[in-house]
Amino acid sequence: MPNSALDNRTEGGRHPPASEGLWVRVLGENGVQKWVFYIPVVFMTLFLAVPMALTVVWSVFERTQFWMKPGLTLFAYETFFTSARAENYLFSMLHAAIAVVISFALAFPIAVFVRRRIPAALQHRVVLLFILPFMISELVRVFALRPVLGRNGVINTFLMDIGVISEPITVILFSPIGVVIGDVISFMPFMVFAGFLAMEAVQGYVFEVCEDLGARTLRAFREVIVPLAAPGIFAGSVFIFVNSVGGALVPTLLGGPGAVNAGLIVNQAIVAIDFPLAMAISAIMMATLMLLLYIGHRMFDLTKILEPLS
Amino acid sequence: MQDDYGSIWSYRAKWAYLLALVGVLLAPVFYVIYISFNEYGFAARIYEFTLEWYVVVLGDKILVASLEWTGYLALASVLSSVPMGLLAAKFYKRTRHKVAFVTLMLLPLFVPADIMASSLLVYFKNLNRVFEGLSDALGSELFYGWFDLGFLTAWIGQVLYTVPYAFVVILITMSRYRDQQTEAARGCGASAWQAFWQVEFPQIWVGVASSCAFVAILSFNEAPRTALLKGGFDTFANVLVAQMLNIGMSEESYAMAGIMSILSIAIIGSILIYSMARSERLERERRVKAQPLMSQ
Amino acid sequence: MAMKKSDTAAEDITGDLAVETFGVSKSYGQVRAVDEISVKVESGQYFVLLGPSGGGKTTLLRLIGGFVRPDAGRVLLHGQDVSNLPPNKRSTSMVFQSYALFPHMSVEKNVSYGLKLLKLPAPEIAEKVASILELVGLKGYNGRMPHELSGGQQQRVQLARSLVLESDILLLDEPLASLDANLRKDMCHELKRIQEQVGITFIHVTHNQEEALTIADRIAIIADGKMIEEGVPKEIYERPRKKFTADFIGQNNLIDGKIIGIDGNHVTIDLGFATVTVPRSEQSPDKGAEVTVSVPAEMIEITKEAPQDNEVSQFLQVVYEKETYLGFGSQHQILLPDGNGFVAMTKSSGEPFRLTHGDIAYVVWPTAAARLHTS
Repeated sequence: MPNSALDNRTEGGRHPPASEGLWVRVLGENGVQKWVFYIPVVFMTLFLAVPMALTVVWSVFERTQFWMKPGLTLFAYETFFTSARAENYLFSMLHAAIAVVISFALAFPIAVFVRRRIPAALQHRVVLLFILPFMISELVRVFALRPVLGRNGVINTFLMDIGVISEPITVILFSPIGVVIGDVISFMPFMVFAGFLAMEAVQGYVFEVCEDLGARTLRAFREVIVPLAAPGIFAGSVFIFVNSVGGALVPTLLGGPGAVNAGLIVNQAIVAIDFPLAMAISAIMMATLMLLLYIGHRMFDLTKILEPLS
Repeated sequence: MQDDYGSIWSYRAKWAYLLALVGVLLAPVFYVIYISFNEYGFAARIYEFTLEWYVVVLGDKILVASLEWTGYLALASVLSSVPMGLLAAKFYKRTRHKVAFVTLMLLPLFVPADIMASSLLVYFKNLNRVFEGLSDALGSELFYGWFDLGFLTAWIGQVLYTVPYAFVVILITMSRYRDQQTEAARGCGASAWQAFWQVEFPQIWVGVASSCAFVAILSFNEAPRTALLKGGFDTFANVLVAQMLNIGMSEESYAMAGIMSILSIAIIGSILIYSMARSERLERERRVKAQPLMSQ
Repeated sequence: MAMKKSDTAAEDITGDLAVETFGVSKSYGQVRAVDEISVKVESGQYFVLLGPSGGGKTTLLRLIGGFVRPDAGRVLLHGQDVSNLPPNKRSTSMVFQSYALFPHMSVEKNVSYGLKLLKLPAPEIAEKVASILELVGLKGYNGRMPHELSGGQQQRVQLARSLVLESDILLLDEPLASLDANLRKDMCHELKRIQEQVGITFIHVTHNQEEALTIADRIAIIADGKMIEEGVPKEIYERPRKKFTADFIGQNNLIDGKIIGIDGNHVTIDLGFATVTVPRSEQSPDKGAEVTVSVPAEMIEITKEAPQDNEVSQFLQVVYEKETYLGFGSQHQILLPDGNGFVAMTKSSGEPFRLTHGDIAYVVWPTAAARLHTS
């Protein structure tokens, strides 16, 4: 005999009332639960997309003593282009490009090696191994280069001790070279991750097919692996490039007088209470970023990077 | 994928290179930690091990206060970024506009810290003005100063910075979860929340915990965004930067850098160890499962 | 121990229909997965949705279960419109193809999950779990974990988990697809036994014909998002109405032709290279209509000499090609005069077959065996 608890359930629980209230019809069956998923989108739009868009608007405002007032003037851009800043920006882009190339040359072969020779289960552990330097503050990692690269640092002391040089090498710190070294140390882990992600696009069998067809390593690399991994490589490169041009930390700590990049100029502008100028440089930076991402997408279809994630 | 015909030495050489690279990235940090334990600081001829500098740092009231603020900020970041990453991962699975959504969520990775922070700075100032105008129009002071530079603004900067990482880590974890299980739970009578909490979460909690650790460390280590967006307090990293630039590298600076590094290494190290232990256990289970299944 | 639905539920039911859909449609982007399907399932029936992969049968099942919301049309369960209700508010339960057991819970916890959500007292839950496990043949397996079970056992646990909730309607989404062939046959009979014992409605999705024919009280053929045909297994197999059904079920030879004469219960068809007489179908096509004739391969007899012209059988002159030995019988590949292929199945008789490639032969079948299709 069915007991009463079951009867109630069959009548009330599993056979719900046919009509629904207005509340349910407006918000959908799950009510609150539906819109809660939009919080990330709303947050990012409000605090990232909107400010980025407005940066362009603010860059054409007029500067006032402590703030700025709405206007339409290219004065900030003029200031930028007619001063040493524009030159510095271009130089910093050059240094950033060098940093990207060095990082790629050092990091990408690791990604290929791991993908090819290390069993799938262990691959993630290698990724974890590179997360370690990534998780140590950039601040500390860059700061730590001072006692290493400096006049009295490890490298100079060592080289002098073994007699290779008699005078300390000063060009590796507080100079563009120091900045490049700093950028490479800072961002190379990310190039390793981007390389891993890029290599997800290259299945194991590709290597075997290459060997089978007799393609020598370098050729296989150039003609097969790099094109397949291109989207990931490009994304990693853009990340390094953009953060090298726009991050003030490295030039501040390692660049010395005169080595500036966009991030540093922006900081200086804000300290000088010239907000339109700061916004103008930011806008130029963001435009550079958008342009790079667009070019990359046209060339490589960056959406392919997402496939391992779905 | 093992190359039976390849040279074992080339394999070992490549491993050596890999480890060397990690070593090069980490070596300067270990060197700093090494110096921080030296009685006589950097560039001294003699080395004498001491914890003195750490004691000095942890005894300094201002530094300890900054450490507290750093902690609050990290906690606030974890409590907001990880759930947001979770919501974003679930949203990603359901939405049809996947590319646009991911672009939006990962954009902070591609906008340098100083650029983002300066734009946000101007944004907050303007928001305040707008809100003030709104308040005045309504004849009250209700909306005054919501976005004054302070904890909230620093927090928003941190969240923007850390959400992409939480999002990606959780997304990768979720990709191994089978949606049929949520459906089966719903079919058994569970509401959406019950299905998540009782069936899905127990299977993804490792990824969620990892992203908590990552977000906490990232927040703790972050300097440029906080520098521009904070008000009324300093974080540990901010103080360190200020010292670096104004005083130069004192023994206390080394100790502070040491504290930050040791903390990060400890957390990531324990995750590494835990995940290795766990995968041993899972591997054993898998071997049991892999016994040939007869038609039963 | 039989688990019957409560008597009060029987009074609840409006009419005999457990499930009814009215013109339900569902699109994914440009693809129309389900295109205005209306189907009726009676209470206590074992109803099978059969069709090719990607044809929409799983989507239809999920529409009934509430895992997918219809773009158009309605879904009724026991006469009530449930189109907007999520799965946990419908009186259906679902069994999935695989990976649907909660891996972090034991068999006992899996099966009792739904009961715990209903906040039933613990002793009652334990009792129900024990009896349902016995019903599905897993007595004593309470403490096992899913990864310790074989494929067949996992499906039984899923079944137990759904049945213990005493829903009136059980939905099964290709439940046997991930099992190996022998196990599939056994589980098939098990499912039927359990359904008959419990007495509730089962709706089972599969692409496997043999499974469908064995187990179903009624079959609906679903392809390209539409319901092609519906009927009892015998009808579907022996007298399919639609050309698609004839093509999909069993092994039938389809030949296109034109009606040249209608005579009482029989129709004369011009196939181009010959004429045949076929029994009339329900649809009444006119003279001159383009139709398709289907002849089951197993009803074909192959002869060397031309058979006598008579009313009870039809024949065609063909060229014999090849025999493929299958064990219980043989399959013969044959060439029609218009160049198309033709297949015949014969049972192994112990005598060697006496035709070889290139021989002229005749295929003969009983007139009543052929069917006429207009669409």
